[in-house]
Amino acid sequence: MIIWWTLSGMAVITYLNRYAFFSGFVRYTPGSKMKRLLGYSSYAVLTAIWAPIVFSFDLELGMQHTGVDYLIGTAFAAILTALRLPSIAVVLISTAVFFGVRFYL
Amino acid sequence: MSPTSKLVGRAITDTIPLCIAVIPWGILTGALAIQTGMSALQAQLMSLLVFAGAAQLSAMTLMASAAPLSAIFASTFVISSRHLLYSLVFRQHVATLSGPLKLLMAFVLTDEMFAVSEAHTKRTGGFSAIFALVSGFTFYIVWNLATLLGIVIGGSLQELESLGLDFAIVATFIAMTFNDLRRVPILLAILVSGTCAVLLKSVLSDSYIIVAALAGMGVAFLVAEDKE
Repeated sequence: MIIWWTLSGMAVITYLNRYAFFSGFVRYTPGSKMKRLLGYSSYAVLTAIWAPIVFSFDLELGMQHTGVDYLIGTAFAAILTALRLPSIAVVLISTAVFFGVRFYL
Repeated sequence: MSPTSKLVGRAITDTIPLCIAVIPWGILTGALAIQTGMSALQAQLMSLLVFAGAAQLSAMTLMASAAPLSAIFASTFVISSRHLLYSLVFRQHVATLSGPLKLLMAFVLTDEMFAVSEAHTKRTGGFSAIFALVSGFTFYIVWNLATLLGIVIGGSLQELESLGLDFAIVATFIAMTFNDLRRVPILLAILVSGTCAVLLKSVLSDSYIIVAALAGMGVAFLVAEDKE
């Protein structure tokens, strides 16, 4: 029974977090400053998700990386994006480089 | 091909790399749920109803250590609190949609759908509800199929998460964000949030993403204000 309560509670909590600002109950409307702040959200959130996949920090060892394959793949993705290649090309080429380095080095 | 078909195709194509990246975690979620003592039905329902990978994995770890329900719910809230930010960003996009469409949109509002949809909005100059919903449900279907696979094959693929499929997340998110690096506030948002996330992950394992993101957004905003 406890598992059903757990599932139900988790479903409600995650859904309410997603629906919170869609509902008419929250009447807050972002002003111009808040809209500008939110304009940076996708850059900040996506970086906060991917950066710890490649890098980690340990108090004794300092900054670490997950592996040379991750570093080289990340560098390729960054350079190809800076060269204005389409997103799909960036993903395909840098992922191919990543797996190439992973399996052949 | 009609414009709608093209839009649907583009939404699926843009979401596929992130779907591939998340397959190992979906399998792991299904396998762990069974190991935690859930029935196959409960394990699948967790992915069908909760649909939040990090929160699901954290809850199962807590359940395995017999943590109280309150701890599981608190962890779920903190981990999924970044969806509050997505909800706020999407508020203006969904304002004109019908009630049922808003309910559906919220249901599939994940990291991946937010990322792909925001990139599409920036690229085209306008939000598309069809694009966002197709992206969200593409990810939902793959996540649940991966969970089902995990339930069926159990723990026989223990090394799956070390295959490096998570690099697709890195490549996709860089491709979506690095093309605007010439704008100083955006460069700072990326540098500050990335650095904070790496530094905070070990001490704020449930909330480092939202804390790091808010720090990056705050610095970018202050620098932009200062320049004007």
